[in-house]
Amino acid sequence: MNLGRPAVRGLTAALTALIALTAASGCSSKAKTDDGKRTGAGGVRTGEGVTDTTITVGALTDMTGVYATLGKSVTQAQQLYVKQVNASGGICGRQLELAVRDHGYDPQKALAAYTELEPKVAGYAQFIGSPFVAAVKPRVDTMDRAVILPQAWSASLLGSPSIRTIGATYDVETINAVDFLVTEKGLKAGDRLGHVYFEGDYGENALKGAKFAAGKAGLTVVEQKIKPTDNDMSAQVAALKQAGVKAVVISAGPRQAASLVGVAAATGLRVPVVGNNSAFAPQLLGTQAGPALRSMYWFASPSLPIGADTPAARKLAADYRAAHPKEGLDNGVVAGWTAASVFGEALKKACAAKDLTRDGIGKALLTLKDHDAGFGIEHDFTDPKAPSSRESVIIQPDPAVPGGMRAVRQPFVSEAARAYTP
Amino acid sequence: MSDRLRNLPAKVYAGAAAVLVLLALPFYLDRFWLQAGLFAMAAALGAVGINLLTGATGQLSMGHAFFLAVGAYGYCALAGDGADGLAGLGLPGWLAAVLAVALAGVAGGLFSPIAGRLHGAYLGIATLALIFIGQHVLFNAHDLTGGYNGRAVPPLSLFGLTFDDTELLVAQIPFGAVEKLWYLGLALLLGGVLFARGVLRGRPGRAMNAIRDHRIAAGVLGIPVARHRAAVFVLSSMYAGLAGVLLALVFQRTVPEYFGMALSLEYLAMIVIGGLGSVAGAVAGGVFVSLLPQLLNRYSDALPLVSAPGTGGIAPGEAARYLYGAAVVAVVLFLPGGLVRLAARKSTEPSGEAR
Repeated sequence: MNLGRPAVRGLTAALTALIALTAASGCSSKAKTDDGKRTGAGGVRTGEGVTDTTITVGALTDMTGVYATLGKSVTQAQQLYVKQVNASGGICGRQLELAVRDHGYDPQKALAAYTELEPKVAGYAQFIGSPFVAAVKPRVDTMDRAVILPQAWSASLLGSPSIRTIGATYDVETINAVDFLVTEKGLKAGDRLGHVYFEGDYGENALKGAKFAAGKAGLTVVEQKIKPTDNDMSAQVAALKQAGVKAVVISAGPRQAASLVGVAAATGLRVPVVGNNSAFAPQLLGTQAGPALRSMYWFASPSLPIGADTPAARKLAADYRAAHPKEGLDNGVVAGWTAASVFGEALKKACAAKDLTRDGIGKALLTLKDHDAGFGIEHDFTDPKAPSSRESVIIQPDPAVPGGMRAVRQPFVSEAARAYTP
Repeated sequence: MSDRLRNLPAKVYAGAAAVLVLLALPFYLDRFWLQAGLFAMAAALGAVGINLLTGATGQLSMGHAFFLAVGAYGYCALAGDGADGLAGLGLPGWLAAVLAVALAGVAGGLFSPIAGRLHGAYLGIATLALIFIGQHVLFNAHDLTGGYNGRAVPPLSLFGLTFDDTELLVAQIPFGAVEKLWYLGLALLLGGVLFARGVLRGRPGRAMNAIRDHRIAAGVLGIPVARHRAAVFVLSSMYAGLAGVLLALVFQRTVPEYFGMALSLEYLAMIVIGGLGSVAGAVAGGVFVSLLPQLLNRYSDALPLVSAPGTGGIAPGEAARYLYGAAVVAVVLFLPGGLVRLAARKSTEPSGEAR
């Protein structure tokens, strides 16, 4: 390029204008004038996402990616919660508003959605995808300080004062599941226990729990690592059969669980199979694996199923049916409702302390000690390093119950899970 | 020549105005927009790289995402201090960034015996393997990559300025990571674009185009076809590596999930939409493809047909995919030269773009 005099002139003009602009940037809305905290209606201190009439809560969900079914149920349950709270007058004299963003399990979109909502919300009642939660963690801990309730149960998310997982993490849940096999399904010391798990966070966290529990009970774990894209479990079943396992734990998706149980039943490996809470969907009962699932499959869950016989569960199931007649009832509904209610409780406590800033909400959550959303589990949020509960429920698939799930063992914490430190 | 001189002032003023606006943006836009802009810059850099390979030389690569990953993870491993239990050499940030780009080039070089011998779709299939091998390694080489949840990216520091979220007040405006990175991104993009233009307008560019148009004729003319193919593959990998480093710095975390097949396809869509073989086209395509989904997501409530998540109907994420699917088809049908042709058609003089 020929840098002639006009070019030099242009450059000079540009630089002059830039200096002028920089000087005028005091007028930019970004200029730092105050810390954004005000005292609003009712003498309550407010921060980001809270005005005199509304409290905005973020929900970063996945409705078009791999966790689309979970994301849809969770979001709709949370929208239902918000609607009901608003109908009864809101919280702190303010209406709740749920700002939903769908990231389709794409890191770039997830981060963009988080950044977009960050200045507008008081906190996040939903954040699907533990890698993305881990990605924003440094920012949350040092700058943003907004409470995040992720829909992921990996122990790697523990330890942040703002990011709080709800219910037993996968490792604890797996320990409880193995305890169920030992106490009720006749597994004894010296037996071999098969463990089929996803590569990555979820599966590896569960494997840690399985190994711990096996060590306590004198079992040997036979590992079978699979990918989320593996849908046919024939090879794994053959290997487990060869190894002579007496029971199997599966930490994978619903599809893999159905294939595993179906193939095992067909090839004569008649052993009890226990899964984590993500390893079941009610739709499975309609498949060919349905009968086998009913007779030899159980799974552990951090709360009672939607079809449980408690007043809260019955009401939620009825309300959800009324709002979404075409949608199935699954565990996502319970998880979403529980998270939204925890957030709502924290807001109420923060309101009582007249501090609806993010720090105020965070502190309020730290005082939430015996919260029960009505699904049989008491959550204790006072220690950021520990999961909010170590209890699990063992559930058996049963098409006769709404949601296709029946609790066969009420909330419990096994001896091993109590002794376990993540 | 005199014609060109007369045209210069108008062009210069337009260019200066554009530069000025770009430089002033961090003072006005909020974090979301700056971050979106940074994603677009990184995408543009990567697209310039793949356009040298696919657009200018006619070599199809499906492995671009792999080289992005090499750059991103390479930077983390070189700059990380090992405090998080993952392998790290603890080099200064700028050195790690340079070495990460070089590392991507080395990875491209290791593949060059294949890249030099295969052409067109055959190379596309061979590079496909890189994606699968790469992702397998990213998910499983825990000590290096952090596995499924990825690893944190150490902030870059340059001349005493650290590109992280420690606040720096510039004329009353708090400068966080994105504001500072914005200028770094602009500088890298400018450098990358100028370099690519230089390559395309000089002898190597003409040789690359000759190979694309008729490789036997190019060989007969005395162009070392295999060597050029291998070299351009290395160069394209280095661009991808640089894009990967910038992306990692913006994300502040590298996640293996991201560097998959879909990302490679997105890069191909960028250069088809923008214009094969042209640098400006690659930048335009990169910006278009990476901004579209973010804009749709943000304005989902205001757009017709697109519904807010959770209310049924077309979700913004899906709408973005339909839209750029439609854009690829529309470009191929009506605008075979890509978006750059649109601009070139309007200007009176034939554009001096290297195609």
